[in-house]
Amino acid sequence: MISSDVIRGYNDTIILYMLLDNDSYGYEISKNIKELSDEKYIIKETTLYSAFNRLMKNGYIESFFKKETHGKRRTYYRITQSGINYYKEKCNEWELTKEVINRFIKEGF
Amino acid sequence: MNYLDNMFATLPKTEQIKSIKEDLLSNMEDKYNELKSSGKSENEAVGIVISEFGNIDELMKEFDIELDGERDELPTLTEDEVNNYLKVNKKWSIFFGTGVFICLLALIQLILIPQIIEDGVITDLSENFNDDILLIPFFLLIAIAIAMFTYAGMEMSFGKYRDLEKRFKLTVHLRKSIENKNDSFHPTYTRSIIIGVVISFLSPITLFIESAINEDVSSYGVVFLLLIISIATSIFIYFGFIKMSYDTLLKIEHSNSNREYK
Repeated sequence: MISSDVIRGYNDTIILYMLLDNDSYGYEISKNIKELSDEKYIIKETTLYSAFNRLMKNGYIESFFKKETHGKRRTYYRITQSGINYYKEKCNEWELTKEVINRFIKEGF
Repeated sequence: MNYLDNMFATLPKTEQIKSIKEDLLSNMEDKYNELKSSGKSENEAVGIVISEFGNIDELMKEFDIELDGERDELPTLTEDEVNNYLKVNKKWSIFFGTGVFICLLALIQLILIPQIIEDGVITDLSENFNDDILLIPFFLLIAIAIAMFTYAGMEMSFGKYRDLEKRFKLTVHLRKSIENKNDSFHPTYTRSIIIGVVISFLSPITLFIESAINEDVSSYGVVFLLLIISIATSIFIYFGFIKMSYDTLLKIEHSNSNREYK
């Protein structure tokens, strides 16, 4: 399991990735993160909702209500164009970070 | 879902927070149901859901910056304000209760005085007695009652206590102390209601006693019956209003946090 400290700077990126292809809601996003990471990263509820709030404030995502077939009303999130731009920036940033950090990582230590 | 309620207790109760709380609850329910259907026991499922909840401080930090302003919108009551409110309300209850009592008294005397005169207790008046004269004390008493209602009403509505009908916050400490007062008032309230009900029920006894002693003057019995019912009514009003003032102080907060989840 990855500690939340290490991954903190990339929670937003992870969430944006989840919204790239289709709109989603809180539980689905956290479930997909868990699956995609082979259960190595489980995002906490509070982390997820702090991130939603931050992303909305910055205009990277927007929320809307959607009624499920069984009548439950859910808050869905949708990525915006500036969200997509931000995501691309973060991807570039990660490439660079990865490259730099890798230089300080000794293989087979 | 007490867990979430506790977690959110310290957060300001804005629409935004409320909607996040609802989302979180729905997420946690989904997660719980899925864990259950994948064969986890109830305890395990609850444990996992809670362990994956995270830290409420994280949310608070995120919202604090935005909410600083909104937080002050709900006035926090000071201890003085609360005590004053209770004091004024008590005064109001006395005035209102007494006012109602006087009104009933005004009606009672309409029966009582002719009876007294008829019995010759006040002999001087009995010859040239005019029914209209009864209306003088009647209106006099009603006037006093109206004066009392008006005075009590002004005290209540022109004070800053109007705000209390809306929304406000209580500090945890103050809330506790009001709850204590309310708890210690409750037996008194219950007792007063019981006494009121019992004497209302027993009031017809005066009629029996009256007719036992003397079959003629049964209107005295009616007078006593009405008098007792008036007293009971005043008791109901007085204690009822005091109860209401505690409810006002305590309930508003309750309804805020209880409304969200059944």
